[in-house]
This record gives sequence, C-alpha cells and structure tokens, in this order.
Amino acid sequence: MIDLLPQAAALIFTVEGIAVLVLGTMLGVVLGALPGIGSTVAVAMILPFTLTMSQAPAILLLLAVYAGSVYGGSISAILINTPGTPQSAATCLDGYPMAQRGEAGLALGWSTIASTVGGLVSAVVLLFAAPQLAALALNFGPIETFALILLGLTCIVSVSEGSLLKGLVAGSIGLFLGCVGGDPITGEARFTFGHFQLISGFNLLAVVIGVFALSEVLIRAAAKLEQDQTLVTFKGIVLPPLSAWRGRWKVLAKSVAIGNGIGILPGTGAATAAFISYAEAARSSPNRANFGRGEPDGLIASESANNAVTGGALVPTLALGIPGDAITAVMLATLTLHGVTPGIRLMTDNPVLIAAIFSGFFVINLMLLPVGIIVSKAAAPLLRLREGYMLAMIVLLCSVGVYFVRGNPFDLMVMGGAGIAGFLLRRQGMPMAPLVIGMVLGPTLEISLRQGLIITDGSFAAFFTGHPLAVVLVALAAGMLSLPLIKLLRDRGKA
Amino acid sequence: MHALSERRITSLVLLLIAVVLLYNTYGQQYADLGGAFSPMFFPRIILWLWVVLAALDLASELITRKETDRPQILRVAIIALGTLVFLWSMTRLGFFLSAVPMTALILITLNIRKPLPLLAVSVGVPMALVALFNHVLALPLPTSPFTWWF
Repeated sequence: MIDLLPQAAALIFTVEGIAVLVLGTMLGVVLGALPGIGSTVAVAMILPFTLTMSQAPAILLLLAVYAGSVYGGSISAILINTPGTPQSAATCLDGYPMAQRGEAGLALGWSTIASTVGGLVSAVVLLFAAPQLAALALNFGPIETFALILLGLTCIVSVSEGSLLKGLVAGSIGLFLGCVGGDPITGEARFTFGHFQLISGFNLLAVVIGVFALSEVLIRAAAKLEQDQTLVTFKGIVLPPLSAWRGRWKVLAKSVAIGNGIGILPGTGAATAAFISYAEAARSSPNRANFGRGEPDGLIASESANNAVTGGALVPTLALGIPGDAITAVMLATLTLHGVTPGIRLMTDNPVLIAAIFSGFFVINLMLLPVGIIVSKAAAPLLRLREGYMLAMIVLLCSVGVYFVRGNPFDLMVMGGAGIAGFLLRRQGMPMAPLVIGMVLGPTLEISLRQGLIITDGSFAAFFTGHPLAVVLVALAAGMLSLPLIKLLRDRGKA
Repeated sequence: MHALSERRITSLVLLLIAVVLLYNTYGQQYADLGGAFSPMFFPRIILWLWVVLAALDLASELITRKETDRPQILRVAIIALGTLVFLWSMTRLGFFLSAVPMTALILITLNIRKPLPLLAVSVGVPMALVALFNHVLALPLPTSPFTWWF
C-alpha cells in the first residue's frame, strides 16, 4: 500500500481533487452542524453532485462530507445544546456548560483538535488494517463468506436501539427486500407481482434515502415545531494553549483507541463509541469531578472517539463489503454507483484508487482543523435557520439524488413509499439501520448459502467440517447474538 | 389504552404482510430443481423468520402498555401526500414545475408564511438546482413538456 502512495498522490493532488477535499469537508461540517440532517442524510444529499465526477474525486467528496459531518455535529452540540448528529450527543454534556459560561470558542477549540487527532489516527488504522483484512479474506470460499456475512448480520443486535426484537424484525424485512427481483441462480423473477421494474430488485439507495431522510422529514413534521434557537455568544474558535493539554493526553490517547476499536466492530457506531469513551474518561480522568459542568476532558473523550470511528468503520466496509451501520451502508451503495465494489477483491482490483482513498481520507482529517476554524464561525448563524427550510431542502436534494442513480421514475416512488413506511415503523420504535444492513447483506448471504449447500450436496452440517475459519466466524456470530442475553442475565443477577 | 393502538396495529400489519408473502411462496410456479436450487429456498427461510419475529413482537405489544405520542396527523398527511405527488409528477411535468408547489406546500405547512421568503425559497431553490444540474453540470433533471429550459 505504501509503495502506491506516489501514484495515489497524483490522483488526489489535482485541482479537482483539492477542490473536492476542501469543499467536501466544509459542506460536511455545515450539514453536520444542522440538527436533524446527520451524516447519512448529508452523504445522500451530496450524492447527485458526485455523479459527473471521476471515481477518486467522487469518493473523496463523499468521505469528506462523512468525516466533516461527524465533526460538524459538535458545533450545534456546543452552541445550542442540540447535537447535529447522534455521534455528538455526548459532546453536549460538557460542551454546552462551557459555552454557557462564555467559553464557546474554547470548547469548539478543544473539540476541533480532539476530532482532528481522532480522525487522523483512524485514517492510519484504515491504511494499515484494511489491506491485511482483505488479504485474509481472499482465501474465503462460499462457506466462509456465508459465515462472515452471518457475523456481519449480528451487528443488527448492536444497532437495534430500544428493542432487540424490533431490530430483528427490521433486519428480516431488510433481508426479504434483498430477495425481491431475479433469482441469482435460476434468474426467475421473485415477488415482482407483475411489475417489470422490480426484476432488478429495489434500488438500495432509494430505500435507504426513503427510510432515513424522507422519514426524518415526516417525523419532524409530526412533532411540535421547534422554537427559534438562542445562540450563546460565539466569536470564533479559540485553540487551547499547549500548556492546557498537560494531563489530558492520556484521555485523548485512550479515547482515540476506544473509537478505533469500536469503529472496526460492525454495528457499534460512533455514538456508542463517544458515550463509552466519555464514561471511561469520567471514571479515570483526574478532572472527573468536573464532568458535566464544562470539563474539557469530557469534550476530548467524546469528540476524539466519534471521529476515530470514521476510519475504523470503513475497514470492514471496504475490505469485506460489510457495512457496520447506516452511514457505511450508504457509503457502500454510493461506492457501487461509482463502479467500485467494496469487498474481498477491492484491494487487488483497484490498488491505486484504494491508496488514493485512504491517503485522501488522511488529508480530509488533517483539514478538519483549518476548515473547522473557518467554517464554524460561518455555520453558527445557520443554526437559526427555520426547520421548514431545511426539511424542504432535504426532500428536494434527496429526490434529485435518487433520480440520478438510474433515471428511473419507479425509484422515486420507491423512495416515497420507503419514507412513509419508515415513518410508521420508526414511530413504533423500530430502528432502520438493521433494515438497511439486512438489505445490503441479504443477496450475498443468499448466494453464499446456496452455493455452499450445492457444494456440500445439501448438507448444512458439512459447512462446519473442513472449514475451520467458518466455524470460528459462526462461533463469533453466536457469541455476538448471545451478548444481549448475557447482559440481561447479568443485570437481573445484579438486581 | 385502547386495544387497537397505533403500535399494535403496525405490529399486526407487519405480521399479516409476512404471512401473505410466505403463503405466496407456496402458490407460485417455479422451475423447482429442489433444495438450494429452488428460487424460494432462501426467501422462505427469511419469511418464516419474519413471521416468527413479528408474532413475538405483536405478543410483546399486546403485553406491554406502550403508547406513541399523538402526531400532527394533518401536517404529516399533507407533506407525505405532497411529496408523493411531487415524486410522481417530477418525470411528467419536469422537476421545476413540480418542485415549486411542493416546496411551497411544505413551507406553508410548517408555518413559514411570509410571502417574500416563501416565494424566494420555493421558486429560488428549484430554479438554482435546475440551473446547476441542467446548465452547469450537464446532468439534466427532468424538464417540462413545454420548454427544455426547465
């Protein structure tokens, strides 16, 4: 990978490449700062703008928006006590109290540096870990692939906020949606009910944008409209002096490690990483007594961990084609649109492009610091934007994005239907990430299972003889599935 | 709490959809070569899983007493219907002509009623998007049957 960096640099450091890195990061920060948009919707909104671009700049733009939006969430968390993205929820705990006592600029300074460091380390982890994982996965046959996808599906357990049962129902709906269309072996149409548009199945992006973005518009319309936000005084970012970092490096290092570790695990996500890291800092920091009252250690813990997740989450997504959460599922679908199929062969088929993506991701995180300083001041007044304008923009940009994917009017109606269905399901507490993960992984799960059964003459038991890697992966999957049960039993034991 | 709450109805509908789809897999004619070759092999496994999980979910909804908050039904219905009409008409009337009334409808429904901002956003944003995609990026959005400009 390292030897490809000069060729990768030639792809990144063009006028177009630099422009997309700078503008993408800026846009990401602004969109991330606007409450309600979030990283998934931000990437979906930017998608149509990438369709005229060549592969490397298009993918880098999406990555820049992703990384920028995760950082951008901290701006509204600190200034209006409303996290722009769920990943920044823990940032409110200490960020807003700092802002209330007139230190909004300093709070954003801490969060900007922590986010930059977290993102940079995660880019290095991505650079080294993804190729190793992909090299290992090259030896996989259908049976190992089946076991791997099964393991990937267990992340449904961890992304099922609220109710595991509802998460599993959503996951099975997603798996079913992946079955609609032509059978991968015989080619016969399944569940098309006479609609020829369904022969190629549901368009993944139309469903994803519907269940996340459009349903969000309806959810917000269903709620009581927010009153105008009151901003605290903010005159720009103030970077903390080097002396103020004394005693805080440990918190930073630990939080970055937590973020990276959690990021690589499919399904755990940046919000979880931020809270786990915050809880660990609240337990071990020398300044723990001030947590919740505007303690910079709390900000460092939350912001470095959530940005450290970004690179980690891309490791299984790019190397194995297994998205860990909704945002990486959207990234996966958009990469496919640009002719890049994430998965086992990605590194061997597109080595220079991948090197460009990885090194570009490093540059994006490096830019978070200057971009954060410039854009946060400009983005602050946008937080006063009335919700209605934002919701109308989401509908317009998402419909443009879905239209450009295939130019198919049917996809637009699928997006509309998915939006309404997503609204109804979310209202009863059903998480949407399992549905998307099921839909993404379903086709590979089906083909690998059926191929495996054909190879073993229909014997499922033969999957576990002579395939030690498959046994290990299935055991891991069983372990992941039983975790909530163990947790429940442990909690009952404590009670 | 009513016996027929929104949560219970949604759970029941999900179960019924799964049952109907599962039933459908047994009624169709396929070139069934048996076992894993069958096009219905995998969908049946998934649909059985869906039926079982949805039944458990419905049972849990019947046991527990959770209630969803009362939504602004009229507002949601207007926006959902407006969006569907916009998505349907986008490829027939063109992006601009269908986006302007839809944007205005969303803004009015969400209490943005001052004429100047309302007009500026509902006309300006679709116009900017058409100008950008059709005339700058050369990635045309659907145009109206009346003129290729929008």
